[in-house]
Amino acid sequence: MKKFLKNREINSFLFLTVLIFLVGLINQSFWKPETIINCFNDSVVFTFLSAGIAFVILTGEIDVSIGAVLGLSSAVGATLLRDGYGIGAAVSAAILVGALVGLVNGIGVAVLNIPSLIFTLGVNGVVRGIIYVYTKGAWVENLPADFTIFSNRFLAGNVTYFYGAALVIIVIGHLILTKTRKGKYFVAVGDNAAGATLVGIPADKTRIMAYVLCGVFASMAGIIYASRIGFITPTAGSGYEMKAIAACVLGGLSLTGGIGSLAGAAIGAVIMSSISRILVFLGFSSDYDNTITGFLLLTIVVINTTVQNRGALKNRHEILAAKTAGKGGQKA
Amino acid sequence: MIKHSEAVDQKLFTASGIIKTFGINSVLKGIDLSLGEGEVLALIGGNGAGKSTLMKIIMGIYQPDQGSVSIAGEKMTVFKPSSSLARGIYMVPQEPLLFPNMTVEENVLIGLGEKPGILKKRLKETMAEINWKLDLGRKAMSLSIAEQQLVELLRGLMRQARVLILDEPTSALTFDEVESLFKIVEDLKKKGIGIIYITHRLTEVFQIATHVAIMRDGVITLNGKISEFTREMLVKGLLPDDCKEAERQEAEELDYTGLMPVFELKNFSGYGFWDISLKIYPGEVLGVAGVVGAGRTELAVTVFGKDKVLSGTAVLDGKDVTGLSTREILKVGINYVPEDRRLNGLFAISDVAANMTSALITGKSMGKLFVNRKAEYEITSRYVNDFRIKITGLDQSAGSLSGGNQQKIVIGRSLATGPRLVILDEPTRGIDAAARKDVYGIIHKLKKLGVAVMLISSDMEEIVELSDRAVVVYQGRIRGELKKQEITQSGLMAASFGVGEGKQVEG
Repeated sequence: MKKFLKNREINSFLFLTVLIFLVGLINQSFWKPETIINCFNDSVVFTFLSAGIAFVILTGEIDVSIGAVLGLSSAVGATLLRDGYGIGAAVSAAILVGALVGLVNGIGVAVLNIPSLIFTLGVNGVVRGIIYVYTKGAWVENLPADFTIFSNRFLAGNVTYFYGAALVIIVIGHLILTKTRKGKYFVAVGDNAAGATLVGIPADKTRIMAYVLCGVFASMAGIIYASRIGFITPTAGSGYEMKAIAACVLGGLSLTGGIGSLAGAAIGAVIMSSISRILVFLGFSSDYDNTITGFLLLTIVVINTTVQNRGALKNRHEILAAKTAGKGGQKA
Repeated sequence: MIKHSEAVDQKLFTASGIIKTFGINSVLKGIDLSLGEGEVLALIGGNGAGKSTLMKIIMGIYQPDQGSVSIAGEKMTVFKPSSSLARGIYMVPQEPLLFPNMTVEENVLIGLGEKPGILKKRLKETMAEINWKLDLGRKAMSLSIAEQQLVELLRGLMRQARVLILDEPTSALTFDEVESLFKIVEDLKKKGIGIIYITHRLTEVFQIATHVAIMRDGVITLNGKISEFTREMLVKGLLPDDCKEAERQEAEELDYTGLMPVFELKNFSGYGFWDISLKIYPGEVLGVAGVVGAGRTELAVTVFGKDKVLSGTAVLDGKDVTGLSTREILKVGINYVPEDRRLNGLFAISDVAANMTSALITGKSMGKLFVNRKAEYEITSRYVNDFRIKITGLDQSAGSLSGGNQQKIVIGRSLATGPRLVILDEPTRGIDAAARKDVYGIIHKLKKLGVAVMLISSDMEEIVELSDRAVVVYQGRIRGELKKQEITQSGLMAASFGVGEGKQVEG
């Protein structure tokens, strides 16, 4: 039981359950199955974003360009659809955009050794600028109905196809990360990069891969976003990176890397996107959304970091203390 | 010459004529070294002797400029960690590099290509072979250093390592843990595994090694079977060839009559050092000798208020200064000049003047609200002239100066506060001979001003030249205190490596 509670994903899931329970106490209509399932359905964009950035966070880096990647890939996909190209072509083009930006991020961080926050912040600006140039600042509208209708198709009961797809991808990704040899490299690099190199793990390649996957996931989020909203503004997805990072932290990932999983990131995404719904149910304005998100993020990060720093200091002291302890035979 | 090809074939590993230069700094000057099956080669050497560079070449992290490395008779052509690993070389670093958030099992098996089932079976067998039990499901962060080292050893064994490099494996172990590590090393020896054992403790060498090699300044000065050597011979090998003991500075001996100590430590203990008692008198240089990791820097940093005092007292001018914060310590007149100037001491981007007066910036002498640029320049010009600091102007950025001039600035800065005690940590490491002379000049000036100086140095020659008295720190404790006429390089060296009491080993 103790071990069970130590599991960070379980903790996040309990947090979500308690949250739903408490909100339901105030407004009982929140306890309806449709409402709860809709919390999951609505989280689908963040689920993809969080799962993608989880790869990067696990390796101990960060990517703040995913909001812009979502915007650009959805704009590219949407214009192709609007201009009569097939869904396959539009999706492939969007994913290619995500992969490319991810590759650039990966090279900047892993090969050029530029701090990831700075590099991806720069890329974020560049990509956001490209969106304006590409769309000439206009909205991309009039998407074909057979594309937008997709977000309202249900797989089973109230669960949408999109969320079903998200679940499948999360499960596969989770298993790859935790069960396969190369999947474990991501966590290893974030846990101890120097140690990873010493046992022959290609740390740079792993980091690049993480960024590419992050970009691809962000572009998939972009396609779903386009289908759900039905039009793309030049600011689409801005600020989403903060929410995706917060979702990961809520889901038990450590921003210093090495701790967490995709399942955790997915649970965190549900918590994250439920917050705006909960605000509505409690009768608050959703203007509080960002404040609450940021506050949650800070709270958890402050606690995590304090605990980690204490542990590191304790470790160092133990090592130093061991050097002088128990030398009975050598000191008169 | 007849080549003993058979003998060469039996060697697990041979390095010949290894040369490695970094910039103008030649670190390895032609190293020949080999290791046979079941041998334990103790590799000894002071700081900067080139041991870690040599190991990094063997591990494939660095490429040698000249020379070759062969493993099991096969010459290495590419130098990459993965290819060294594949050839059966595994290094257990001084501070184990495990993945703290992974289990023991994951830590050992990560990166191995076989099927999980087979791997787990092999792991169990290997553990049974060396008779070692540990919960494989434990997270690495919950392991003691000794257990972490065993996990590292397991990693090496699971990778079929034939050559294990142990880098100061006992430096963070307790006495009992050392015993059990030695048992494991004996077992590995019997299995035919070759071990390179890097250490600073000569007593261990005779306990565990079959062969010994001493490195100094990028060359092997002594190499052979352990049975051919005595401790005294090893100590001699660590000293420079031209070490002339008699050539001590004819400086006047300090007259202690009527002097009261400026600074005193009584049974002072903290993390990394234990039960340290010493006194320093005004105008005296107290040499603190020892090897890196002996606990000297930890002692200095703790006195300076950066770490917790566990027990004992520190007294300055009769006042108890135990456990004060760094700010308060500075105020009462204790100054610390750290070893790594760039990391701890210097504001590299700021200019020379700002650096020189930075220790005064919290006081009022530099202006109450705005910094008094004139006062700043006055103080700085004085020290720049006094210490012969070579700069283009007071507004030159400190980071662009040579190491020696940087050091002069950092020491000069501590002087500007009018201190009672200055602790210098390796003040001349990595600076050239001319700058070294200037730094010595500054130390003499400090003496004349009546400042007490605590000189931490691993350079025995420096201790001999400058100290009025010296203590040797070994494994966090003081081992021997020497009066001026008793200080010899060989005596200091022997005590630093844990041989005898400093006083007993002469010449």
